[in-house]
Amino acid sequence: MSMTAPDLDRLRGVAAPRNHDARTIAALTANPGCARRGVMDAAGVDKDAVARHLGFGVPFGQSQFAITRGNTFEAQVKADGCAELLTLLRDRLGLEVPEVAYDDLGAVGDNEGREVRHARTRKLVQRALETGEGTLFDHPLLRLDIAGRPAYLEPDVIAFQLGGRFHIVEIKSFAVIDGQAEADQVAAAARQSAVYVLALRRLVAELGHDPVEKVAHEVFLVCPENFSNRPTATPVDIRPQLAVLERQLARLTRVDTIVAQLPEEITFDLGEALEEAVRTVEARYAPECMSSCEMAFFCRAEARACGATGALGRSVRDDLGGVDSVETALALAEGVLEPSEDLAETAEQLRLAARLRREALAGVA
Amino acid sequence: MSTLTSLAQLQAVASGVAQPLATVRHCHLAEAPLVMVPLKLAGEAAAPLAVMLGSDPGSPTLLVVPQPRNRDQRFAFAADLARVALKYIESSRGQVEELPPGKEGEERIRYSDAPQLLVPNRGGVAFLRMLGRSTRFRRTDGPYAVEPSVPVLGRWLTWFTDRYDHPGSCLLLTMTETLRLHWATGQSALEDGNLAALVGWIDPPEGLTGPQAAALAEDPLATPPAGPTTDPGFDNEVLAPAVAAYDAARGPARDRAEERVRAVLETQLAPTWELMWRAVGLLRGLPEGASVPQRWERDRDSFTYFHQTFGEAYPQARRDSPVRAAKRLHDMERAQDAYDAQRAFDDPLVMAEHRLNGLAFGGEVTGCDPTRKDESGKRPKLRPHVWVRTGDPVRLDPGTTVCSAANPKIKGTVVEIGPDGAVLVELTGGMGRKLTPEPGTVPQVGDRVVFTSLTLGSFGPSRFPDKENTPWTHGGPPADYEPTDDDAAEDWS
Amino acid sequence: MPSSPGAPSPEELEARIAELRTAVRRAMAAGDRQAARAHRAELRAAEGAWDEAVLGDTALGDTALGDTALGEPAPDETADDAPSGERPAPPPPPRAAVPRGLVPVRERVHQALTLIGAPAAPKLIASVYAAFLPGQLPAARLTSLRRDEERSFRSAPYARPYYLCAALTADLLAPARGLLTVSTWPLEQRISGPLSARTDFLTAAIRIAEHAERRPDSPDVQRLLWRFAANIPGAATGAVGTVEPGALIAAARAELDVHAETDRRQRRRAADRARAQLDDAGRLFGARLRAMRSATGTTDGEDDR
Repeated sequence: MSMTAPDLDRLRGVAAPRNHDARTIAALTANPGCARRGVMDAAGVDKDAVARHLGFGVPFGQSQFAITRGNTFEAQVKADGCAELLTLLRDRLGLEVPEVAYDDLGAVGDNEGREVRHARTRKLVQRALETGEGTLFDHPLLRLDIAGRPAYLEPDVIAFQLGGRFHIVEIKSFAVIDGQAEADQVAAAARQSAVYVLALRRLVAELGHDPVEKVAHEVFLVCPENFSNRPTATPVDIRPQLAVLERQLARLTRVDTIVAQLPEEITFDLGEALEEAVRTVEARYAPECMSSCEMAFFCRAEARACGATGALGRSVRDDLGGVDSVETALALAEGVLEPSEDLAETAEQLRLAARLRREALAGVA
Repeated sequence: MSTLTSLAQLQAVASGVAQPLATVRHCHLAEAPLVMVPLKLAGEAAAPLAVMLGSDPGSPTLLVVPQPRNRDQRFAFAADLARVALKYIESSRGQVEELPPGKEGEERIRYSDAPQLLVPNRGGVAFLRMLGRSTRFRRTDGPYAVEPSVPVLGRWLTWFTDRYDHPGSCLLLTMTETLRLHWATGQSALEDGNLAALVGWIDPPEGLTGPQAAALAEDPLATPPAGPTTDPGFDNEVLAPAVAAYDAARGPARDRAEERVRAVLETQLAPTWELMWRAVGLLRGLPEGASVPQRWERDRDSFTYFHQTFGEAYPQARRDSPVRAAKRLHDMERAQDAYDAQRAFDDPLVMAEHRLNGLAFGGEVTGCDPTRKDESGKRPKLRPHVWVRTGDPVRLDPGTTVCSAANPKIKGTVVEIGPDGAVLVELTGGMGRKLTPEPGTVPQVGDRVVFTSLTLGSFGPSRFPDKENTPWTHGGPPADYEPTDDDAAEDWS
Repeated sequence: MPSSPGAPSPEELEARIAELRTAVRRAMAAGDRQAARAHRAELRAAEGAWDEAVLGDTALGDTALGDTALGEPAPDETADDAPSGERPAPPPPPRAAVPRGLVPVRERVHQALTLIGAPAAPKLIASVYAAFLPGQLPAARLTSLRRDEERSFRSAPYARPYYLCAALTADLLAPARGLLTVSTWPLEQRISGPLSARTDFLTAAIRIAEHAERRPDSPDVQRLLWRFAANIPGAATGAVGTVEPGALIAAARAELDVHAETDRRQRRRAADRARAQLDDAGRLFGARLRAMRSATGTTDGEDDR
């Protein structure tokens, strides 16, 4: 495999590559067919800055009430040597009383440097694999290759080791009410957890152990129960998310085929040529992009300006038998455009639909 | 979605304004619905922040929780909300109608009216569901006592949100979904979730196109979100400082600080309040569908029953028992079928969907034998023949039972479908009891007709075991549900 | 903006406030923090002027702010765990003067820590103080304490009878995050090994329960004991939320017996190392490790691939 990093560095221009965390990596699995997103993510382009520069900034901000709630709940579960977490793990997973060791990997002494922290995470994971020492590992700093470039994952999880097997515990502040939580939030948490499981498996493999055996595919979401602050643990099988993630990361390393077709001089530097550069790489906009990609508003404006049916949603595009342009679809419906052979059926359907609408609206049966 | 609605969306894009998806209104709209615009605190499951509600567009009631993390204030809010909502519910009963006695001779009545709640979007329903869940088990005595109205409100909110799940019910409606049932915009479903953008497409303000109005609606500074989640920028820059000032204030300054919290929340609610009533006006502009009163009657039945049995019933359980869950699912499927069919018969634009799919066909009557008789049996039967020329893609096999879309009582059978789009229908019923048809029942040459295989009376209700006979596969008979002390003492923090 | 001679009317001020609110949010949405800050300051001034114009007095009441200790998370407290990305600037933390005539903060922390008898986080210290001692001890005010103590020690060693200092991590002898101890404790007691978070929790449970036995019961004390009892096997014997101190002590002792031996050994070994390797200040406030970065960095690189 050719190393694409130099080309990608050139694409990114002078800016430093953006930092990844589990959320941004999980977001990479959305809309895999989009070349624009694939290239920009692989090159580590700060899409937020690019979108702002183009006048399409996304106010993806978070409410401080939500942030405070999240931090408070996490602090509470971890307080007093993870007292509440231990109680949960004992009650639900049969964790034995002697298993209480807690290692904070959030800093090495007063040093919060990533290399140092990663080295220490690595050391303790190795020790646990070999001797079974250690139970709770807070803030493990893991690493994952993104398009041939190692990215550190800013961790907000606890890895928990029992009988030589690691489990990821993720603390989230959304409520589980009568055993149910909001599906969107669970799905997002599962996607993020999958990133940690994958990164931990890669590390375990590097250390010469069997990743599948040593890192469980079942993660534990710790959430407030009902309307209280009392935590409850829910096991979530993240194998589906893991499969999507692995496929998508493998695909990212293949963006070199796309990059190879781009003009030599193209760069995403925040300059005058930026807009043209962005437009050179084709996007596949869908409304779902709005929740996961910083470029969404730009791509939406572009899709609307050229009358793309995809801007109305995937289902609309499917209903139209894959006709991409609003203008074409309407011309087919009104019978003013002779359809090509492959569109004959779609065109007939559209003409019929147009006639039926006309009749119904005219009040003629 | 279908090609028909997708086409309507394309037409909306081309014309810059929303296009109709219905020619009649498919929902009941009360003369004085209770419009509710709730807001909740970000990051919390059910922490109310504020609600603007009322039945008069000119005088909304604004309820606010100045410190949304304070448990006592939340219950005070719930009590205030209960006062307004329960009063509305009690005043929405109308007259009592006496009905014929039931099978076992029991007395049956029905209220002539029922309450109707309108919220902006599905998030509003989810929030009311949570608010209902978090208040209906509360005790009115003991260490965590709340006002007696609070658990009552919780049970009503739970009932409303349960009925919301019932297809065709109009006791609790979301404005975005209701508008989307009647209009197609030139934006995606996701964007239609923004009430202001949706209304902007349907009824753009003077001088603006639909897309321009929608763009304006997407700016949280120009148009606050319709809730229940507030804009993060508002939270961080406006609400948080106001709440902090309230926390810090003592004495008379506290009232002032509370007033400021109210004022800033009002800025977020008032625009949506206006929008809700504008949307009500848009819906009122459509004539009511023929089957709407019938569905509203089911809603009134449900309301009457819940209201009548309220005193002796427990709060709704946290989870349905297996038999109840199965029955509920079955009821909902039946309701969905009936609702889909009724809308098609009420509205040619909805029937057009079925014509597109080949389950209905329409066209001009080209031939007619109105007095034809079938004399193969002992007694002759009236069996008129009608030839219909249609351009629709008919996908009905010969022998299929159909009925007239304009008058579903007129039934018939598809006899043959000619290659030139001529369909021969033999009419079998709905023409009176004589051997000559009642006038006006059999269509004449030149009439335009639509026949469909849809039926209004779908399959009947299935029987389910009593709770005592719950099969062992479903855990056997469940213990009787009674709320426990734990339910009542549950934190609401 | 200095107030103009002709004072603006409340209506003008309201319009101005609405305008400034929009400006702040626009600036934040565009990522322009500097402009947002400037507008924010003007906004606060306008709000103040409105209060004055409409209500006729300048003060926002008696700003009593001693009560941020519990329940309400203070902004600084969570700063350590804050996500790296967008973090909206918290409203300026209200700074209230310590009520006169009360014991200074460090003295109050010392009292609480002495009662707990083990390394403890600010939150626990604050709860213990609230349950047993007069007045309040806002947890948020404890965050800068250790740094002040270290500065004082370094400029005049042992000038004070005690210092509030760090717990030392057993492996690196570095200051453990978020834990406070007292300098007069034996070094072993101030070390934090892998099991120490748990043994310290159990130790604190026993000591606090013992203290509670000698005092009249109160809701604050029950709440505090419940925090322990709910998370120690066999400690919660009565109804939810109520704790019998004797049962809590017995349960905590039983679990402590399981961990104590190993924990003590690990702590002793670390303490021996600390005595051999660190100077006085290091033993109290932890080894400084910034120099290690490059060293560990290289080993990391070697076994990387």
